[in-house]
Amino acid sequence: MTTAGLTAGLERIPDQLGYLVISEDGVLASAGELENDEHTAAVMMQMVRTASRFKLPGSPEPPFKRMSVTLEDFVYMVTVSGQKVFVVKRQNNQQEPINA
Amino acid sequence: MGCCYSSENETTEQDPDERKPLIPHPNPVSKPPNGTDWIPTSVPSARTDEQALLTSILTKTAQNIIDVSAADSVMMEQHEYMDKARQYSTKLAVLSNTLPQKKSLALPSLTSQPHQVLASDPVPYSDVQQVSKIAAYAYSAISQIKVDAKEELVVQFAIP
Repeated sequence: MTTAGLTAGLERIPDQLGYLVISEDGVLASAGELENDEHTAAVMMQMVRTASRFKLPGSPEPPFKRMSVTLEDFVYMVTVSGQKVFVVKRQNNQQEPINA
Repeated sequence: MGCCYSSENETTEQDPDERKPLIPHPNPVSKPPNGTDWIPTSVPSARTDEQALLTSILTKTAQNIIDVSAADSVMMEQHEYMDKARQYSTKLAVLSNTLPQKKSLALPSLTSQPHQVLASDPVPYSDVQQVSKIAAYAYSAISQIKVDAKEELVVQFAIP
C-alpha cells in the first residue's frame, strides 16, 4: 500500500482532526493537528504495545481491534494493521462530561 | 533459556553448590523423626492410622516452618557471601551474552481494515462511564489492601 493509499481512508473519517501512520521506524504520514507530532506518536506506540500484551484466557488473539483514548473534547483512536499503527484524533461529540 | 522458564530438573553442568539453599531444610521429608518412619506390619490398623496421621502432621509442620535457630548455626562467612555473589554475577554475565538481543515485540495485527475500524462510532459514553466507575472501584479496593499482622513471625516451640 502506498502512503497515499494509507491515508486516503483516514482523511474521510468523520470528525477527524488529524492522524498519524507510524511504523517501527517512525512516523510514515501525519496530518491535521497531529502533523509531525512525534511526541504523540511515541506515546500512542507505547500505549498500544502495552495494551496488546494483555492476554485474556480463552479469547482469540489479539483481544481487541481498536484502542480509544477518550478525553473531554476529543478521542484518539488507535489500531494496528500490517505492522503499522494508525492513530486518528476525532472530536468527542458526546455531551456529558466524563468524571474520571 | 530465560530465568522464568528454567526448571529444577535442568541439572546439566550445574555446580552442586550453586543450588544449595542458604538455609538448609531443618527436617527433610525423607528423614522423619525417630519412631515415625517405620511402622511394623503387625500393629493393629487403628494404630497404623494414628501413626500415619501423626507422621503427616509432623511432615506438614516441618514443611511450613523455617527453623531460624538452625540457620544461625550455619552462618556463612562474609567472604563466602562475596564469593557466591561474584559467582552468580559471572554466571549471569555469561548467560546474558548468549541471549539473543531482545528485539522489541513485533506489533500484533489487530485488523485488516484499519480505516473502517477507526471510522466506526466511538465507544458510547455510558460504556466509558461504566469502565471509569469499575476502574475507580478497583483502585479503591487495591489501595485498601494491607498486611494485618496477627501473630509473631518467629515463635518458640515449647519443648519440655
